[in-house]
Amino acid sequence: MRRGLVAWLLVAPSLIGVACFLVLPVVLAFVVSLFDWDLLGTREFVGLDNYAALIGGGALLNSLAVTALFTLISVPVSLALGLGLATQLHRALPGSSIVRVIVVIPWVCAPLALGVVWKWILQPSTGAMNAILGMRVEWLTSPSLALPAVAFVAVWQNVGYISLFFQAGLARIPGSIYEAARLDGAGPWRTLVHMTVPLLRPTTFFLAVTQVVASFQVFDMVYALTGGGPQHRTEVIASLVYHEAFDAARLGRASAVAVILFVLLVAITLVQQRWFARRITYDMS
Amino acid sequence: MRTAAARSRLAGYAGTYALLLAAALLTLAPFGVSVLTALTSAGQFARQGPLSWPSPPTAENLLALLTSTDGFLTPVVVTLQMVAVILAGQMVFSVLAAYAFALLRFPGRDLLFWVYVATLMVPQVVVVVPLYLMLSEVGLRNTFWALVLPFVLGSPYAIFLLRENFRAVPGELVDAMRIDGAGTLGLLWHLVVPLNRPILATLMLITVVTHWNSFMWPLVITSGPTWRTITVATSSLQSQYNNNWTLVMAGTTLAMLPLVLLMVIFQRQITSSIAATQLR
Repeated sequence: MRRGLVAWLLVAPSLIGVACFLVLPVVLAFVVSLFDWDLLGTREFVGLDNYAALIGGGALLNSLAVTALFTLISVPVSLALGLGLATQLHRALPGSSIVRVIVVIPWVCAPLALGVVWKWILQPSTGAMNAILGMRVEWLTSPSLALPAVAFVAVWQNVGYISLFFQAGLARIPGSIYEAARLDGAGPWRTLVHMTVPLLRPTTFFLAVTQVVASFQVFDMVYALTGGGPQHRTEVIASLVYHEAFDAARLGRASAVAVILFVLLVAITLVQQRWFARRITYDMS
Repeated sequence: MRTAAARSRLAGYAGTYALLLAAALLTLAPFGVSVLTALTSAGQFARQGPLSWPSPPTAENLLALLTSTDGFLTPVVVTLQMVAVILAGQMVFSVLAAYAFALLRFPGRDLLFWVYVATLMVPQVVVVVPLYLMLSEVGLRNTFWALVLPFVLGSPYAIFLLRENFRAVPGELVDAMRIDGAGTLGLLWHLVVPLNRPILATLMLITVVTHWNSFMWPLVITSGPTWRTITVATSSLQSQYNNNWTLVMAGTTLAMLPLVLLMVIFQRQITSSIAATQLR
């Protein structure tokens, strides 16, 4: 009994934190989404009107499409490049440990600050990219290039971090398996596709889930690079929430978007869990 | 035969080195050009454009940022304080909770832990509007407390990660220390914490990186120069001096430099232990 009390005392601070700053806000988000609520505190119960307006209007659909496209570009590309980089670093040639550190540097930097740096690099006339290329490309202000450009910067930031997980995964594969494959006459490409990739499935699963969830929440980098423009072509869901809440002062509408994002992320996570649970067959430990 | 094999192995090395060199250059180039621009005078940048070597290198942009009244000195100090308070609170309260979940028995433990795990799925953008309303309601908008309060009581992610590691502490050791008369907290301090130094260090690094770089919450809850953090200051510098890129690059350099230095100092810790944060 006494030990139970001690345990509850140990848990108490974090329980207050979780209850006040995670559970209560989520409940509140549902509540606020049923109101017409502005920044000055005037509020009026409107039921599901915010949801109806969002589904009827184009902004939510646009943001869902933009976010999905951003995810579809950035996650597979950064996973593929991260794996490629990891296989090269895994060879542990002299000097490669320096590269291992260098490629992780972008991960420790604020996405906001990196976004500002890349905004300058991608400026049409004063930026470094066009100076190198000798062209004048409107990377961030052309409606068709802006989203791929933002996705590119996100990939650039994440590849090194992702490669760390693949390096750890590669280190767990016994070298004897590769020896056997080599003796059977399998070339490097076939070894990669038929052995390394399947054996890394648990790592890939972990990275796919966390990266998809993270990219559905991307905000800082988009805020710095484009602010959601041009013509809302990079208005990801988190940008829409921010603009609805703090520019348009429609907190109810913003909360409805947030609730939809939350439900969507829970659904994505559950689907990925089930889909991959059936496919993880290799247990390396 | 042997020379052909050796030659192909050599070609393989050359290919790997070429790829690694390309990766390193592509990673470093944006930092390089932005730091060079930060060291270039505004006049030279206007005349020669980007990619010109600063001649002579000047500290005028950095000094202007650090000495002007609405400059970067206050945000750096605010951010340092914020990170220090959040780090201390999160480590203490997360360790205590993780210890209880991992090694103590108490009624409601598993249900409560399930709630903690469920909150891992809550995105920040979902709670940002309600948190803004709550903290404004109690008069904490644009205060230091508003910056730290939502995070200082521990994080479910840290608790989850630590619980996994604390559970690996051998039961025989726990029993042996109990027999020697160690209390609940003695056990934590003299056995569990020393055995888990690497994961605690990794968690500290992740906490520092996360909160030094956090942007959305400080952007929403602070206004004006008093309590803004380094990321918010960088963002407003960019929108305020839209084409003054030498000054803006000085700002991004100041915002990123401390963590890059941290990364270089703790490189081994970071590259070898980040993968240990993989949750199962």
